[in-house]
Amino acid sequence: MSAIGAISGVQPGVAGSAALTEPRWVRASAIAVMLLFIGCFLVVPLAAVFVQALERGLGAYAAALVEPDALAAIRLTLLTAAITVPLNLVFGVAAAWGIAKFDFPGKSVLITLIDLPFAVSPVISGLLYVLLFGLHGWLGPWAAEHGIRIIFAVPGIVLATLFVTFPFVARELIPLMEAQGTDEEQAALALGAGGWQTFFRVTLPNIKWGLLYGVILCDARAMGEFGAVSVVSGHIRGQTNTMPLHVEILYNEYNFGAAFAVASLLAMLALVTLGLKAVVEVRSRRQLAEALRQRGREGEA
Amino acid sequence: MSIEVRHISKTFGSFTALHDVSLVVPTGSLVALLGPSGSGKTTLLRIIAGLDFADAGSGPVLFHNEDVGDRPAAQRRVGFVFQHYALFRHLTVFENVAFGLRVRPRRLRPPRREIRRRVRELLGLVQLDWLADRYPSQLSGGQRQRVALARALAVEPNVLLLDEPFGALDAKVRLELRQWLRRLHDEIHVTSVFVTHDQEEALELADRVVVMNGGRIEQVGAPDEVFHEPASEFVMGFLGQVNVFHGRLEAGRVRFGELAVEVPPGEAPPGGDVRIFVRPHDWRVDRRANGEPTLQAVVCRLNAAGPHARLRLTTPAGESIDVEVPHERCRELALHVGAHVFLSPKQIKLFANGGAACGARSTIREFVTQEDRSLLATGP
Repeated sequence: MSAIGAISGVQPGVAGSAALTEPRWVRASAIAVMLLFIGCFLVVPLAAVFVQALERGLGAYAAALVEPDALAAIRLTLLTAAITVPLNLVFGVAAAWGIAKFDFPGKSVLITLIDLPFAVSPVISGLLYVLLFGLHGWLGPWAAEHGIRIIFAVPGIVLATLFVTFPFVARELIPLMEAQGTDEEQAALALGAGGWQTFFRVTLPNIKWGLLYGVILCDARAMGEFGAVSVVSGHIRGQTNTMPLHVEILYNEYNFGAAFAVASLLAMLALVTLGLKAVVEVRSRRQLAEALRQRGREGEA
Repeated sequence: MSIEVRHISKTFGSFTALHDVSLVVPTGSLVALLGPSGSGKTTLLRIIAGLDFADAGSGPVLFHNEDVGDRPAAQRRVGFVFQHYALFRHLTVFENVAFGLRVRPRRLRPPRREIRRRVRELLGLVQLDWLADRYPSQLSGGQRQRVALARALAVEPNVLLLDEPFGALDAKVRLELRQWLRRLHDEIHVTSVFVTHDQEEALELADRVVVMNGGRIEQVGAPDEVFHEPASEFVMGFLGQVNVFHGRLEAGRVRFGELAVEVPPGEAPPGGDVRIFVRPHDWRVDRRANGEPTLQAVVCRLNAAGPHARLRLTTPAGESIDVEVPHERCRELALHVGAHVFLSPKQIKLFANGGAACGARSTIREFVTQEDRSLLATGP
């Protein structure tokens, strides 16, 4: 609060900004409302998760996590993320590269398609796969004939997660790559570099922070996704339950301690992600700002 | 290594950037492609580099009489300096210069120590060895320009191509770098082509100037040749300021306004309506009529800043004429705004008027400044 006092203490006319600030009580109450809001809706629930998880002691907490079904859920969640994140990294980079560096008919349609998973409810995303690969779906009977299980099995969970997390990397990279333009790639080509050399030595280093940021967001969503996965999973304990689904089942069984223990793991994951994100975000913003600044300079010239 | 392009055309959608352009750049020369924006000069440079490709049906691009037209840039061994340098922002100055050597296939790649030696040598050549560990964002515009040049030279290019090399620099640095580049070229003698829209830069730096307009080459020649013997109205107007008059050629004399000037036979177009071009420094200015036919005018603006005093005069008919006189002459005549003067041209250049109707009593129609040269480009 001392900072607020210092700013409002500036004499009007000495600094132009003094005339633009609100009276002290307005600012104080606005800040108070915000803190109250954050406290009620973010900090208290987060704390509650950990309090509930540890209510019956560390022993019960640990037991809830090493229980075979919980371990299976953790394994499946990690497996899903381990498959979907690298795939979306490759797809995202390829899509952003194509969109930002080249002009082709249908480009705006492609951009809209990339945004589709953001626009539809995750439950619909899950249903899409049930309609496609379910027993009565279009490809379901064919898959069943060949002994391929997709719905109520791991492939379905991976597919649904893949769909839901598709936009994160591409969305993060498109503005960055557009701002950077193709000058450096052309320079690399003129210096004798091949296509892959140009990509790995010039394009990739220029987008690395933006890419990492996109991957972090993608990973967080892949591990935390509930709706889409819930539709295709079938909730088979120890087999097709991811961590969020496992939490739900435990909760529905009034096994609150175990539910919160697993939930606390997810919450910790979120905190780590946020921490990483904060660090990476600063750098990726800097990368974008620098690219835009350079563009601006070129524009003036 | 010489460069030759034959019958090159290039269209972008409905826009034709180059119309059937042919050009020879002799080995070891420094050639300027000069023209306004949209004249096709950068497109021609990029086609020579292999960053763009000519339309189907165009002739070959020859390096030392070998057709490289189908090869991409990476296989042409060209040094290309981009307008905005395009330095790799994530690499140090040293690594930027080393890039072209490091990306070579293993059997052609020099050993590590050799790369280091070559990069050091090049950075010495561009006088930047002390900046080897900096990143491009930490350099000034002029320094970036020189790093870009060193990077282009590192691959020992067959030809050096520069796209508006000084375009993004301020006037003083531009002048220094221009002289420096000329000296560098005299030292290493690599066949070089640079693109510019600044006629002063082209005239000062190049061995030969290629004046381009609207996707065509207007004239190729030594700097003094294109300046003193412009082949077209466009070249005349683009290479410096010019006053344009409409007049009539009769019996070896050209008449415009009150003036009649003898035209040596052989230099004159076949006769009839002509356009007369007079450079601002080609006027003789007097305070009294000297008996010869002269043009009367009043000084309406006088700018004594710069190497010459620049006057803008108005004739009784209301037309403007730009004139440059030495400062001494300006003082001698005690010129001031509002002074009456008499003008006669010391030198004129005629071009046949493209059939435009012009009355017997010709009038001064146009005044062309350096700023609106476009008038000439699109004139009748």
